[in-house]
Amino acid sequence: MKRSVMILILPTLALLLILAIYPTVYLYYMMFQSFNPLIDLSPYFVGLGNFVTFANDPEAWYAIGIMFFLTAITVPVQVGLGILLAMLFTSKYLQGKLLIRSLMLIPMSIPAVIVGLNWKMIFFTYGPLNMLLQSIGIPPQPWLSAPFGDPFNVIFTLAILDIWQWTPYVMLAVASGIESVPADIREAASIDGASEWKILRHITLPMVRSVIMVIALLRLIDSLRIFDIIYMLTFGGPGNVTTTLPFYIYKVGFTLTAAKANIGYAALLSVILLVMATILVIFTLMRTFKVERLIWG
Amino acid sequence: MKRAHLLTIVSTLVCWLIVVLYLTPFIWMISTSFKPIGEWATAELLPREPTLKNYFEVLVTGGIYGVRGHFPPIGRYLMNSLIVSICIALITSILGAMTAYAIVRFRAGGTLFANWILSLRMIPAVAILYPLVVLTRAIGLYNTIGGLILVYPIVTLPITTWFMIGALKNIPKETEEAAMLDGCSEWEVFYKIVLPQAAGGLATAAIFAFLFSWAEFLIPLLLAPGEAAMPLTVFAAYFSNQYGILWGPLAAAGVVISLPVIVLAIAIQKYIIRGLTMGFVR
Repeated sequence: MKRSVMILILPTLALLLILAIYPTVYLYYMMFQSFNPLIDLSPYFVGLGNFVTFANDPEAWYAIGIMFFLTAITVPVQVGLGILLAMLFTSKYLQGKLLIRSLMLIPMSIPAVIVGLNWKMIFFTYGPLNMLLQSIGIPPQPWLSAPFGDPFNVIFTLAILDIWQWTPYVMLAVASGIESVPADIREAASIDGASEWKILRHITLPMVRSVIMVIALLRLIDSLRIFDIIYMLTFGGPGNVTTTLPFYIYKVGFTLTAAKANIGYAALLSVILLVMATILVIFTLMRTFKVERLIWG
Repeated sequence: MKRAHLLTIVSTLVCWLIVVLYLTPFIWMISTSFKPIGEWATAELLPREPTLKNYFEVLVTGGIYGVRGHFPPIGRYLMNSLIVSICIALITSILGAMTAYAIVRFRAGGTLFANWILSLRMIPAVAILYPLVVLTRAIGLYNTIGGLILVYPIVTLPITTWFMIGALKNIPKETEEAAMLDGCSEWEVFYKIVLPQAAGGLATAAIFAFLFSWAEFLIPLLLAPGEAAMPLTVFAAYFSNQYGILWGPLAAAGVVISLPVIVLAIAIQKYIIRGLTMGFVR
């Protein structure tokens, strides 16, 4: 590579080496150490000790399970609802499309922390949602501690936030996919007597299938990072019901509030999370994202 | 013709109703920010006696209803957020453009490098933050704005790079080739010819970086928990966890924090989806 081209990528390369490669190497080193700053003076080597801890830690397994459970609710709902809204909002009869799209940008553009704050207000025991329920004769629900009886259901409350914030993203992407389907194809079908609905169902939607696939995968990958709304709404509780893997890592490695608080163990959990994310990313890159074509095609 | 007319009215009404219902939680926050203390726990959407007091306390005096010391005014955290976000917007949009140019025109690093940068966009930050805390402590940047500016690029640089790849690949290369024949180096071609042509794309990339920096919560939570560098997001989290039901000031803070990014997001709405899907959906 020529020197002047090297200069162009050197700052980025250096920065990403510090911010991505160094931490990864550090994690792989740390996962064989044990270090609880509250007790130990310095890290010490424990070999596979953290792996044993992990194998016998039901909280960690629960955290992984609940992370995927949350994802299994949010992603399908976001994608389904997003497609539905995209179909509605691309209707040729709709007036004010541009304004609607601007407004629908609001949920996804506000910081997730503020989404959490916003819904905390809504779910508050004496908040608007319960007042509304009361007015139609349903008693107030403790949404953030134990709605519908079982504390586990708080996970659904969390899911609502993520769904609310990111459904518009799916909607906007699918809508722009729908609109990129050449108009003459639709017109031809229309002249042949196909109804608006049939055109959508049998011509347009199949053509945006790749868009839907990519969006679903991107949402899936992003869902492994949900953190802010948990911090704001439940802090992993009640108990550890909403402690997903990222939040468990936070508790084990940063606040040191988990029973198994240990930085070496947190490093192992981080590696596990990274491996899971990497598998998903590689799958996405191989299946749908043809990087070669996107850049040089 | 008459049927089309009816369809227009019905679908417009239905769609707008959906939009308003969808945004009701946010509308509720805006409305609460104008409510006086007695109305915070009422079920009415609109404030009966609208007041600016919440904003005044959040922005200017701090405290709650005259009682100082409950919380400080937001100004200092607003400054922190602004400084970090603007620096990150400037730095990572330029670095992203440089990298994108090297990738698009010279295939620098090949497919692997491009894929790697793309994959960094998708990794969960919580996994790699402990080593970065250790690093910033070691070089004295823990709890400083400088530390945040050092670490945020892990989030924004992949985004700006990929956005600039999309922006640069459509610029015709003829002028660049002519300039190279005239003896300009790649670097000179980049900032004399490519950058001016890609100015719009560069501005959009900068806004993307700004949006992501503004919303960032986890990195500053772990890297800058102290007053000196704490950004708005972390302040909002502390504030709401400590004074849980002061809905008026909390809502006002929420609106103040949301408004700039809503405006910016709408300003670049043509490119939002392209940026977020890394160029896959245009």
